[in-house]
Amino acid sequence: MPLNLRIGFFLATRALRRASLWTTGLIIGVMVLTFLNLVVVSGILVGLIQGSIEQWRTEYTGDVIISTLTDKKFIENSPNVIGIINGLPQIEKYTTRYRESGTLEANYKTRKDTDKPNTTGAQISGIDPYQENAVTGVAKKIVEGSYLTANDYDQVLLGHYLLSQYVPIDNPDFAALNNVGVGTKIRLTVGGVTREVTVKGVVKSKVDEVSRAVYMVDTQFRSIIGRNDGNVDVIALKLKKGEDPEAVKEALLLRGVGTLAKVQTFEDAQPKFLKDIVSMFNTLGSAFGSIGLVVASITIFIVVFINAITRRKFIGILKGIGISGRAIEVSYIFQSIFYAVVGSGIGLFLVYVFLVPLFQAHPIDFPFSDGILVAPLDSTLYRVGLLIFATVIAGYIPARMIIRKNTLDSILGRN
Amino acid sequence: MIETKKLERSFQNGDVVTRVLKGIDFIAKDGEFIAIMGRSGAGKSTFLYQISLLDEPTGGEIVLDGHDTHRMSEHERMKFRLNKFGYVFQDYALLPELTALENVALPLMMQDHTKASAYKQAAEALTKVGLGHRLHNLPSQLSGGEQQRVSISRAIAHKPKILFADEPTANLDNDSSSAVMDIFNDLHAKGQTIIMVTHEEQYAKLSDRIVRLDDGTIVSQTHRGHH
Repeated sequence: MPLNLRIGFFLATRALRRASLWTTGLIIGVMVLTFLNLVVVSGILVGLIQGSIEQWRTEYTGDVIISTLTDKKFIENSPNVIGIINGLPQIEKYTTRYRESGTLEANYKTRKDTDKPNTTGAQISGIDPYQENAVTGVAKKIVEGSYLTANDYDQVLLGHYLLSQYVPIDNPDFAALNNVGVGTKIRLTVGGVTREVTVKGVVKSKVDEVSRAVYMVDTQFRSIIGRNDGNVDVIALKLKKGEDPEAVKEALLLRGVGTLAKVQTFEDAQPKFLKDIVSMFNTLGSAFGSIGLVVASITIFIVVFINAITRRKFIGILKGIGISGRAIEVSYIFQSIFYAVVGSGIGLFLVYVFLVPLFQAHPIDFPFSDGILVAPLDSTLYRVGLLIFATVIAGYIPARMIIRKNTLDSILGRN
Repeated sequence: MIETKKLERSFQNGDVVTRVLKGIDFIAKDGEFIAIMGRSGAGKSTFLYQISLLDEPTGGEIVLDGHDTHRMSEHERMKFRLNKFGYVFQDYALLPELTALENVALPLMMQDHTKASAYKQAAEALTKVGLGHRLHNLPSQLSGGEQQRVSISRAIAHKPKILFADEPTANLDNDSSSAVMDIFNDLHAKGQTIIMVTHEEQYAKLSDRIVRLDDGTIVSQTHRGHH
């Protein structure tokens, strides 16, 4: 090891070992908070949207979603497509959905002729209850009543946004059903066919496609829409752990599914506003992080400057007895690195051992998503690198300022 | 050998220039023990700082073993201080976070000794001044006399050509002062060049030569036997 590094390291380790615990603790505390500011603030911002994206994937699209082409009524040759899906080893489960727009009407038995009908529009999904739950876990989202079974006749699940008691806004343009709960009969009209159905359960989700949906057993729904050819509207695929959605999409396209349906990964299928928000929150997180970095740099600068000023006499003595200025600078750089590395180390521990699992177990309950803490290791390590770099510079500059002063002036405390 | 020619040192404070050293001609031969005396403000410490390369004169020359120090870079001066000089300061000037052993070993390590070799030499130097049992104590755990002995050990461990001491006994009681001067006498007996600033006549008398300064000039030089 070069001499100046060796001496600098020697001086730094002694200074750190025999420094006041309070001072060391305070500096490390500042570094930990700075690290958390760098990682957690942007991580939560991104996590708000990431939570939404994750729910979009797990509760609606699956990892890959196959849907009707824009100019078609349904996925043509759906049995053929399903056959291809069954042949792909990456796929763990899939669910098929029949989807049509329809109207729901409540309180029609008690409505007077002069009353406005209590109706709302909805997307009605005909599902295989077992398959749908296996892919999206929708049964766990039931907040009232119970989930569908394959033998349920004329029973539906309603998304909670269709019911006035769950809708937090009072807006005349936002229609919801009044006085409807589990066991209530409502009218379901799809393509001119009306059927009276019973509400079996209420599904509560932060994914709009679920919270405004009506679920019905597919065999029942087919009889309403008059489709008996096996062609479905949507197929959501859940992949085996570790499988790449992009690779599966490519495999499906390679087998010609693209000519029959639209094939998208869950990321492709995200609404554009979500992608825009992720990008904006990333920028905001970086901006907050940059401010944190500047604050940390100034803090370290002040700490090292005060330390170097109060130790100016000893710096003078070191120079006086022949210790090179470079070695003394190196000692301050090592001390700065120590503070940054220990601070970041504790920060990493807090983030990955405590905060990430905590937010996973108890997400922040935002109206549009369950916010988690997103802290990818590569970007976190990049931030650690930035913090260490900023700290080294912030430690080096004040040390250099003091070391450059006249040796004797430093020893005698002269200005 | 140290030689100064018309050495000057002035300090400027705004428009006011104070001349502390006013053209000193001085020679110290190898192996000499020189005491520099004078009343407060006479310029004795300032003179010591110039010839020990801790400060830069504003006029005149300092020649050390044939080297004109005026032409030296700060790096060369640092090397000179490290390899040729040893310093003992009035207030010991030990580094508070280093143990006695580490304080003494540090300049040796800077001379590129391995840590083990530096520690060995430092331990020997400390043992010689009676501090073999205090190697791992911090300065704050040592008495003033012990700290000064550590300071002397640090100054001599690397066997410097010249030992500079700035009022080494000023902060010590009589017993500690005597112990320090005994060490200086032993070193001098072994051929060590020592230049010591002191205001204590009884210790100055132990030197080969007493150089008296007043108002920035040498007013007298007295050799041993004539003290």
